[in-house]
Amino acid sequence: MSLRVLNPNAEVLNKSAALHMTINAAKGLQDVLKTNLGPKGTIKMLVGGAGDIKLTKDGNTLLKEMQIQNPTAIMIARTAVAQDDTSGDGTTSTVLFIGELMKQSERYIDEGMHPRVLVDGFDIAKRATLEFIEKFKTPVTIGETPDAEILKMVARTTLRTKLYEALADQLTDIVLNAVLCVRKPDEPIDLFMVEIMHMRHKFDVDTRLVEGLVLDHGSRHPDMKRRVENCYILTCNVSLEYEKSEVNSGFFYSNAEQREKMVAAERRQVDDRVKKIIELKNKVCSGNDNNFVVINQKGIDPPSLDLLARAGIVALRRAKRRNMERLVLACGGEAVNSVDDLTQDCLGWAGLVYEHVLGEEKYTFVENVKNPHSCTILIKGPNDHTIAQIKDAVRDGLRSVKNTIEDEAVILGAGAFEVAASQHLINNVKKTVQGRAQLGVQAFADALLVVPKTLAENSGLDTQDVIIALTGEHDKGFVVGLNQHTGDPIDPLMEGIFDNYSVKRQLINSGPVIASQLLLVDEVIRAGRNMRKPS
Amino acid sequence: MKEIVTIQVGDFANYIGSHFWNFQDELLGLAQEPDGDPIYKSMPLDMDVLYRVGETQEGIPTYCPRLVLVGFQGSLGSLSPSGSLYHNIRSSDTSDIITWSGNVSKHASEPRKKNLFLQSLDGEGQGKSTVMGNDAVEERGNALIQVQDKDRVECLENGVQYWTDFSKVQYHPRSLFELHGSWADLQKFDNYGIGKDILSEGLQVEEMNERLRFFVEECDRIQGIQFIVDDSGGFSSVAATFLEDIADDYRNTPVLLYTARSPSSYGNVMSKNESISRSLHDAISFSRLSSLCKLMVPIGLPSLSKSKFSLLHVEDKKLFHSSAVYAASIHSISIPFRMEMLGPVANSSYAIGAMNFGEAIQMLTGQASQNMVSTLDVAMPAPSSIDEKRQGSILRSLHSLTPEIKDDAVDFHAVETMIIHGALYSGGHRASVSQVKDSICASYENEPQKPLFSHLTVALCPLPIPLPFPSIFKSQVGRNGELLPGPTQGDQPKGALDIDSVPMAARLRSSNAITPYIERRLTSMQRYGSQRGTSGAELLHKWGFGREEIEDMVEDLARKVLALNPHSEMSTDSD
Ligand SMILES: Nc1ncnc2c1ncn2[C@@H]1O[C@H](COP(=O)(O)OP(=O)(O)OP(=O)(O)O)[C@@H](O)[C@H]1O
Ligand SMILES: [Mg+2]
Repeated sequence: MSLRVLNPNAEVLNKSAALHMTINAAKGLQDVLKTNLGPKGTIKMLVGGAGDIKLTKDGNTLLKEMQIQNPTAIMIARTAVAQDDTSGDGTTSTVLFIGELMKQSERYIDEGMHPRVLVDGFDIAKRATLEFIEKFKTPVTIGETPDAEILKMVARTTLRTKLYEALADQLTDIVLNAVLCVRKPDEPIDLFMVEIMHMRHKFDVDTRLVEGLVLDHGSRHPDMKRRVENCYILTCNVSLEYEKSEVNSGFFYSNAEQREKMVAAERRQVDDRVKKIIELKNKVCSGNDNNFVVINQKGIDPPSLDLLARAGIVALRRAKRRNMERLVLACGGEAVNSVDDLTQDCLGWAGLVYEHVLGEEKYTFVENVKNPHSCTILIKGPNDHTIAQIKDAVRDGLRSVKNTIEDEAVILGAGAFEVAASQHLINNVKKTVQGRAQLGVQAFADALLVVPKTLAENSGLDTQDVIIALTGEHDKGFVVGLNQHTGDPIDPLMEGIFDNYSVKRQLINSGPVIASQLLLVDEVIRAGRNMRKPS
Repeated sequence: MKEIVTIQVGDFANYIGSHFWNFQDELLGLAQEPDGDPIYKSMPLDMDVLYRVGETQEGIPTYCPRLVLVGFQGSLGSLSPSGSLYHNIRSSDTSDIITWSGNVSKHASEPRKKNLFLQSLDGEGQGKSTVMGNDAVEERGNALIQVQDKDRVECLENGVQYWTDFSKVQYHPRSLFELHGSWADLQKFDNYGIGKDILSEGLQVEEMNERLRFFVEECDRIQGIQFIVDDSGGFSSVAATFLEDIADDYRNTPVLLYTARSPSSYGNVMSKNESISRSLHDAISFSRLSSLCKLMVPIGLPSLSKSKFSLLHVEDKKLFHSSAVYAASIHSISIPFRMEMLGPVANSSYAIGAMNFGEAIQMLTGQASQNMVSTLDVAMPAPSSIDEKRQGSILRSLHSLTPEIKDDAVDFHAVETMIIHGALYSGGHRASVSQVKDSICASYENEPQKPLFSHLTVALCPLPIPLPFPSIFKSQVGRNGELLPGPTQGDQPKGALDIDSVPMAARLRSSNAITPYIERRLTSMQRYGSQRGTSGAELLHKWGFGREEIEDMVEDLARKVLALNPHSEMSTDSD
C-alpha cells in the first residue's frame, strides 16, 4: 500500500509478468546490438540533435551513446561495458549472450519451470565451459621474441570487424609494432606508452606509426628553428617563468623600490635556471653541429624563451605529464625536476625534431630515436567522427595484441569455439546432470550458438542451415567456424581467425551471472526505475 | 601577468558563463561600432586577457574566449559540441563513410530547433547582433526591426531551455566539453559521490586536462584561473578532480573559485536521509573545493525575487534570470584584472585601480585570519551617488549574493576590493573617475565600521546590456540605468530593449560575516559524518572518504571558524 502512496502509478507486478518484462528488455537490447557483430556487421551512424555525428561499429561505443532507462537493460549494458574495460573487446557478444540466455529460459519458464532450476543448470554449464576452454585454447609461445605471425592474425581479426579490409590490414602492422615497441620483457605491457595522436586534415586519410613521439604543440619563439637534426633532448619539469603570485611573498611592499628589488631577484632566479640549461648545451654541442631541444612540463615565459632562442636552443613548454615518461622511453636520458647538477647523462637523443603546422594547431615530431620504448600512432582523417572511429579501432587492436601476449593463448574464432562448447555441453555434460537442471545446461548450450547464428544472419545466410552444417561437421571431429561469404564450415586456424582467450573467458563468466540475477528477481515495480529485492 | 583562463563546470555555471561572455561580446562589438559611445571605444579593458587569437585551417582568424566549460552530454542544446566556428566537415551522408565498406545504418535524433534569437544570429553572419538604437535606420525599417527584436527577446523570456539558447558568442571547439555519463539518472546527480562515479568512466579527466592545457600552453604570462562551478550536486566533485590536477600541473597559478547555486537547487527536501545527504554534500563540497583554490566566493541566494535588490525583478524559477545577476557581478569583479597596467603615477581618466589576480587574492586572504572565503556584494544598478546629499548610497545599496552569511557582522579586520563602473551623477550624466573615487572615500569617512583595508577600482565603462539579456529591471530604471524620477510607468519589467547599460558596483569582502556559512558545514560534518555506523558516515564512505580524511576535514573547518572569531573560544572556555 505504501508504495501506491509514494507513486500512484506504481503497480507491483506479479512474478511472471515481471520476469517477462525483464526478458523483453534483454531481448530488446540484443536486437539493437546484433547487427553490429562480426566483419559483416553494420556500422552505425548516429546523428545528434545538434547535427553532431558519431560513427560506431563497436558494441561498447554504441551502448554508451544509447539512452537506456530500463533497469534490466542498464544492468546488461554495464556488464558489457565492464567487459570492455577489463579485456577491451567482446561487448557485442556479451549482450547477445545474455539476451539469448534469457530468451532460451523464457521457453522453459513458460512451460512452468522455476527459474531457480535453470540457474542451477547455468552454473553447471558455466563451470564445464570454463574447463572446456582450457582444453580448447590454442597456446601461443611468447618468450623473448613472440611469434609475430599469430599476433598479427589476432590483431587483424579484431580490426577487420571495425574497419574495411585494406584499412584494417594497414593498421594491423601498426598496432603490432606499437605493442612490440613498448613491451619490455617480464613487465606488464603499458599501452599508455603508445601515444595516439590525431590530425584533422581535409583530404588526407592516413595512419602511421611514428617511432618516437608526436607532441601537439610547438615552440613559442619566432627565432627558434622549425627543423633540427641530431638533437640532444632535455626532458624536464622546471619552472622557467617568473611567477609573482606566490602566496605569502607579501603584497604590501613598503615602497615601490622594494617591490622592484623583489621582482628583480625573482627574475634572476629564473634566468639562472635558464643559464644552466644553456651551459649544458654549450658543453655538449661545442665542436659539433648537434642541436639541443628542451621539452618542459612547466611554463617558459618570453624572456626565458628569448635567452634560449639566442643560444640556439629549441624549447617547448607545458608538455603533458604523460609525455615526460614517454619521452624518456623514446629518447633515453631522464626527466629532471631541477636544473642543478645537470649532466650529459640526463639527455636523450633524437635524430630529427621538426614542427608541422595546420592552422592554429602545431605538432612537433621527435623522430629517428634509438631503441625506443614509446611510440606514437598518428591518425589523419577528414573529420572528428572518422578519427574517433579509427581511434576506437586502434585501441581494440592494441588490446588484442597485448591480451594475446599476456594470455599466451588464443581462441579459434568465427563461431568455432561456441559451436564446440555447445556440442560439448550437449554431448558430454548434459547427461551427467541429474533432473531438470539438464534443461538449464541445454538452454546454456543453445544460447552459446547465438554468436555463429548472428554472424550468419549478418552475412545474409540462413541460420538454420549454417548451424546444422557446423554442428554436423563438428560431430565428425573437426573444429569448424563459419565462412561468412558462403556459410560453409571452415577451419579458422587456416583462415587465421583468432579471438582473445581472456575476452571469451570473461564473457562465459559474466554472462550467466547476470542472466541468473535477472531471472531470480521476483518483483519489479513498473513505474519506478528501481529494481527491488522482495522485502 | 596577463592571461586569465576561465573554467565553467555544471549547468548553472554555464548559464552564468553564457551571460558573462555575452557581456564581453557586447563590449567587443560596441568598441568597434563606428559611431558608438566613445566610452566603449576608449575602454581601458584589455580583451586579450580573456580572449585568444586563433586561426582555422583555412587561415581565417578567430577570436574566442579562453575557456573550458564542462556540461552534461546534451546540455548544449542546439549547439554542436564541435562549435560552429572551425570548419569541420559534418556530412551525415552515409556514403561519405570512408572506414567501412559493409552495411550502414543511420540513426538520427530529432534535430534541436534553434529559437528565434539563434536563428537571427545565424542569419547575420559575423555582423553585430543588434541594430537597436541605431538612429540612422529610417522610420519604417526601424519599426520593423523593433518588432523583431521584441520577438527575439520574448522568445528568450518564455523559452530558454539550455544556456546556449541565449548565447551570442562563438566558442572554440576545445572549449565545449561534454561529460559522458552513460545511463546516469540526471535527476539524481545531486551529490558529491555521484560525480566521482561519472568521472571514472573512460578517459574523461584526461580529456578535460588536455583541453585546459591547450589554452594554458599558449599563455605567455598567465595571471590566474577564474573558475565557476555549480556546486549543488555532482559537479562539485568533477570540479574538485579538475582542480586537483590543476594544482599539480600549474602549481603557482592562482585559482579564484566561484561556487554557484541556482535558486532551484534549494528545492524542497523530502526525507530525513535526503536532508542528511544534502548537508553532507554541502560540507564535503566546501571542504574539498576550498582546499583546492586560493580564493573561494560562494554565490547563489535561495531567492532573488525576495531579496533586497529593490530595482530587480527576477523570476527565481528561470535560470536565465538569476544567472544574469551573478554574471554581471563576476564581470564587475574581473575588471581590475583586465585593465592595462599603467605606471604608478599615471592617473587615467578612464579608470583607476588596476590589480592582478594574484594581488587581489593575496590582499583578501593574506590577513591574520587567513580567511580564503570572500563574500560578494553587488549593487545593480548602482545608484547615483556623487552629489553630497546621497553620499553613501552606493555603500548602502550593496547587498550580498553570498548565502548564509551574518548580515550585521562587525569586523574591523575586514578587507575588501570594490569595483565601481559606469557610475552616474544624480542627473544621469556619467560621473568622472575622480568624482566617484572622492565620493566613495568620503562616504567611508562617515561609516561607523570601516574595513581595515579597501581597494577601489573605478572605470567609466558601464555594464552593457546585450539583446539576449533578460527583462529583470524594475520599471523605474532608465535607459542608462538611472533611476527615473516621479511615479513609475507601469509595472512591466524592463530588459534589453529599454535599457542600454547600467552602472555597477561590486565588492569582494573578506570578513567574519562568512562564519555561519562555514559553521553550518562544520556542524553537519560533526553531526552526521563522524560517528561510526550512522547513515551519514556510511554515505561518506560510499563517496570515497575514509574516517581519517573526515577528521582532517572537521579539524580544518574548525580552524577556519576559529580564525574568523579568535575571541569565541575564550567565551566557550569561560562557560
Ligand atoms: N573473418 C571472420 N569470419 C567469421 N567470423 C569472424 C571473422 N572475424 C571475426 N569473427 C567473429 O566476430 C566476432 C567478433 O565480432 P565483433 O568484434 O564485432 O564483436 P565483439 O567482439 O563481440 O564486440 P565488440 O563490439 O566489443 O568488438 C567473434 O566471434 C569473431 O570470431
Ligand atoms: Mg570485437
